[in-house]
Amino acid sequence: MLRLVFRRLLALAPLLFIVSVLTFSFTSLLPSDPVDLIIGDTGTQEQHEMVRERLGLNQPIVVRYVQWLGRAVRGDLGNSFFNSVSVTGAVMQRLPVTLSLTAVSALIAIIVGIAAGVAAALRPRSWIDRLATVGATIGQAIPNFWFGLLLVAIFAVNLRWFPATGFTPISVSPWDWLRSVTLPAVALGLSSSAAIARQVRSAMVGVLQQDYIRAARAQGLSARRVILKHALTNAMVPVVAVLSFQITVLLGGALIVEQVFAINGLGTLAITAVRQQDIPMIQGLVLVMVGLVVIVQLATDVIYGFLNPKARPS
Amino acid sequence: MTARATDSGATRSRRPRWLAGGSFVIVAVAAAVLALLLFLAIFADLVSPYDPLTQNLMDSLQGSSAAHWLGTDDLGRDVLSRLIYGCRIAVIAAAEATTIALLIGVPIGLFIGYRGGWWDWIVMRVVEAIVSIPGIMVAIVILALLGTGLHKAMIALGILFSTSFLRLARGVVLAEREEVYVRSARVIGASDSRILLRHILPNIAPPLIVQTTLTVGAVLLAEAGLSFIGLGVQPPDASWGTMLSTAAAYMDLHPFLAIPPGIAIILTVLSVNLIGDVIRDGIGRGITVAARHDTPVARFEAASAVEPSAAALPPLRPDEVLRVEGLQVTVASQDGTGVPLITDLSLSIAKGETLGLVGESGSGKTLTGLAILGLTSVALRTTHGSIMLNGRDLRSLSQREIQHVRGNEVAMVFQDPTTSLNPAFTVGSQIAEVLRAKKGLSKKEAWERTVALIDRVGIPRPEERARAFPHELSGGMAQRIAIARALSCNPSLLIADEPTTALDVTVQQEILDLFRDLQAEFGMAILFVTHDLAVAADICDRISVMYAGEMVEMAEVGRLFARPRHPYTRGLLTAMPHASDRNPPLPTIRGNVPRPGTWPAGCRFSNRCDFRIAACERRIPLTGTNRLVRCIRAEELSLEAAQ
Ligand code: SF4
Repeated sequence: MLRLVFRRLLALAPLLFIVSVLTFSFTSLLPSDPVDLIIGDTGTQEQHEMVRERLGLNQPIVVRYVQWLGRAVRGDLGNSFFNSVSVTGAVMQRLPVTLSLTAVSALIAIIVGIAAGVAAALRPRSWIDRLATVGATIGQAIPNFWFGLLLVAIFAVNLRWFPATGFTPISVSPWDWLRSVTLPAVALGLSSSAAIARQVRSAMVGVLQQDYIRAARAQGLSARRVILKHALTNAMVPVVAVLSFQITVLLGGALIVEQVFAINGLGTLAITAVRQQDIPMIQGLVLVMVGLVVIVQLATDVIYGFLNPKARPS
Repeated sequence: MTARATDSGATRSRRPRWLAGGSFVIVAVAAAVLALLLFLAIFADLVSPYDPLTQNLMDSLQGSSAAHWLGTDDLGRDVLSRLIYGCRIAVIAAAEATTIALLIGVPIGLFIGYRGGWWDWIVMRVVEAIVSIPGIMVAIVILALLGTGLHKAMIALGILFSTSFLRLARGVVLAEREEVYVRSARVIGASDSRILLRHILPNIAPPLIVQTTLTVGAVLLAEAGLSFIGLGVQPPDASWGTMLSTAAAYMDLHPFLAIPPGIAIILTVLSVNLIGDVIRDGIGRGITVAARHDTPVARFEAASAVEPSAAALPPLRPDEVLRVEGLQVTVASQDGTGVPLITDLSLSIAKGETLGLVGESGSGKTLTGLAILGLTSVALRTTHGSIMLNGRDLRSLSQREIQHVRGNEVAMVFQDPTTSLNPAFTVGSQIAEVLRAKKGLSKKEAWERTVALIDRVGIPRPEERARAFPHELSGGMAQRIAIARALSCNPSLLIADEPTTALDVTVQQEILDLFRDLQAEFGMAILFVTHDLAVAADICDRISVMYAGEMVEMAEVGRLFARPRHPYTRGLLTAMPHASDRNPPLPTIRGNVPRPGTWPAGCRFSNRCDFRIAACERRIPLTGTNRLVRCIRAEELSLEAAQ
């Protein structure tokens, strides 16, 4: 298993590199001069030069990139153009928020997706299959932030079961954390559970026709065991293969859903940074996102290897 | 005929046909929604009752009224009017972003697909990098450069979604390139680029159309999202996303504000996706918006039993393990009546005996094995007859009871060992699992017993092999494992379905020997299903020949081979290759086994039989006592053959 992790890590390393080059060079194309943004048009030529010097903007882009990367590797993503806070600090402060939301919604999406997909696959064309199919179709057309608004109206404003806004860190109170993360996570997980349900259903329908399922039944194993162990393990193989994509989608969705619940996560940070054209912040955010994506991919690769022995390096 | 027609009509109307019959309706509704959207977008100025930007602070956050059908928002603007103008934004957004995506993605994709080499490598790495980041983050980076606003947001989305068009176009070029290479059998030159283009254009259109519908749906959702977080359409302009953003601020005071734009988004996206699905399906099978065919709803009652042949019932024996009488298996059919697959099948097997079930594919022999286990697929059902195993009728058992019987009293070995073992688990764990579930052994006991069983079926280094996955074993080895699993609970009946067919010839004999060995040791009865008479001759005590769902002859092996009585058996025997002759001129029986539902009314072999007479058009019973045969001319023909 270690060898698998290592091999995948090697394969994913270039991705990190390319993304860093891309974001760095891309954000350096900025049409407006960041110095203008910072000190306004009123500053003197000298002031401009000083700021330019301080930000290292007077050096060639390649040099700037190498310097930036060198610091980034050591965990220093530079400072915001605007309030000089450290990008690493700002991102790390909000990372747990967005991660909580993404992780819980992924969990919900996986559980709901598998349950609905399996139920539908067991009885193709039954009412439950139709319900799941219709549900999945509609689920994928509902914007997650709108669903979030709906949940707020019902469960926060009307029933008062959950807080309408805000986020409590898990370290402060696990219970309040769960309460604050539930509604946004459900809103976020909806369309992914629909997508996963579709995939599980089609994979499961295929697997259930396999010889080994019939052989397991012929051996007198219970239907429950055959479905949940023998069939599902195999049906999850193609699902896990695309799971990292779904989690990436959730990570992106979290940025928007956070706004519905006034949660101060990476989304808020990103939106502010865009409006202010705060380059170091955006570069840092992208890099952190890619880092997360790489970790998720690594994890799903390992699970994939576990479910599918043929994929393991021998 | 008329009775049948009304009957099936009635059946159809009883079925829920949500997708089949309803799909046309759904597509029509989706198309109507999109038409309405376009209409409102174009004529927003004429249709909307108010100016979407006119404020009236006296009238803010009103509910539905005659003046304002959908009420007003926080600034007293008419929600309906804003919704209608939102249609315009939605159409513009979808058109703009999709066009940009097409214009960027397709040419670049064609180019790198055609050029290959470094261009291709670099661009594809960039594309991989872009798609690995959450889409919204990509849009945010681009918007950081461009600034916010509808058109800038759509450029960002256009760039984002261009990656899928790019990959699609590249894929089509690569595929067609291959084609052209193959056809012209030479490396492509400059003059061939026109040929390539001519091949690409017709092939790229269908997937492009599908991808476009997918993109339109995604753009609509993304635009709403970007406007919602304030990076797309800017207030006070009315878009569904900005309307929701306003609504978000008033969820406690006036939650209704979120409903109209939300419904508008969902309906639009849903309609686009549904139309896209239909187009995709249509392209998949040559542009027909045909309703899906329903799988037949199981209606088996209509199939009447084929009257059993009195003589066919085998005489009772004290050491009998399995006794099947008058078995009939039926498949549900399109018109609601059942089509029989097996009729009037009776057989018995004693302890330590091996009965061969022989026939061409399509004769129903494999199905017989599955029917005994009660494992036929959902559309099939055993409609008549009894299956007595150790004195108990399996057909009368509950699901729980028959589950207990499977594995413990009867087990099955399947044709292809590489597919009958679960690829996800080690072979040892699959045997141990059965032992634990059926015999209640502890983990350790089960494992020890498993290793012993693997050793018993003649696999060297059993400890080690038990930890192997199915794909790591050879076919013969895997079949030994499957046999070990089947025998793990010491069943009194083993059903072997073509257990040697998928194996290498050299391995076949070993497996047959293993069966013989194990039978001598465990004493189980074996129902050996095969199409290969030579294999049956090798291992069976008696042979039943099946044809078109019924037994046509049954005899002890020696007698069957010495004097086959049914013309079909004779045909099979003459078609059988002999070890002695190198190039046997195989006289096969002309024609094929007729498919179920097309069986001749009388003797089912009559359309292939050289000895047919007029009397053969009646139903032929199985006759005889120890040897059975289903042919009215059996007596005279066997006499003739003897001369
Ligand atoms: S009954 Fe007639 S048609 Fe059928 S096998 Fe005998 S001779 Fe041939």
